[in-house]
Amino acid sequence: MVVTHRTVEGIDVIALSGRLMMADVAQVRQRLLDVVEKGGGKLALDLAEVGFMDSSGLSVLVSVFKAARLKNGEVVLLRPNPTVRSLIELTRLQQIFSIFDEEATALARLR
Amino acid sequence: MAMTRTISLAIESRPECIELLGGAVNGLCGLTALPPADVAQIELAVVEAVNNAVEHAYHGEPGHAVLVEFRLSPEAFSVSVRDRGDPMDPLQLTAPVAAVKPDRADPETWPLRGRGLSIIKSCMDSVEYHVGDGQNTLTMRRTLKGSRPA
Repeated sequence: MVVTHRTVEGIDVIALSGRLMMADVAQVRQRLLDVVEKGGGKLALDLAEVGFMDSSGLSVLVSVFKAARLKNGEVVLLRPNPTVRSLIELTRLQQIFSIFDEEATALARLR
Repeated sequence: MAMTRTISLAIESRPECIELLGGAVNGLCGLTALPPADVAQIELAVVEAVNNAVEHAYHGEPGHAVLVEFRLSPEAFSVSVRDRGDPMDPLQLTAPVAAVKPDRADPETWPLRGRGLSIIKSCMDSVEYHVGDGQNTLTMRRTLKGSRPA
């Protein structure tokens, strides 16, 4: 799992690439929580290159969402592929995560 | 003559080994007419079942075996996941699917864990759990002919 981080006008944008499964979750979770802690708590998580995710991967998303909300922040999801989007919808997590197809729209939401 | 064909794989109870099963599921499902979205659901169910064996039956302890048996017949694709760790409470299998509806305003509805079984039940047509002779077996089945039962 490759994690790429950049900042756009004070908003953290993190792109994940690979398969987010149990073997990777501890490392990815810590990396994302570090970004939330050091940043402003506004995070766009780009999932376009995540080919597969299981429930342990979902737990990472929820962890980061909780951490961001403690800072009065927000986490939005960008471009999940149909498989990952299906998992998010199956577990009804679209109720707490806003999902965007365009980064510009996601960033506008977070500003 | 069409018959049931079986293949068994064993992995060590380490998270790094679970990914290996994805290739097996995709390869075997390639022998069926299942569309990619259905194959992805089966892969997810298998991964969740093995996650449970590693995390809950063996409590994350490496060095144990998780056996995965795939059975392909003209009617169904079935997968059994076997471990010799602590058994699951069978009542968990009968609990309602997705009992907790996430609510943005209520952090109590944002659990980190506990989604695996409901995912398995949603992705497969039937799921059974059996404990006997020191072995726990979760068997899940996906119908191949016609549409899935509602």
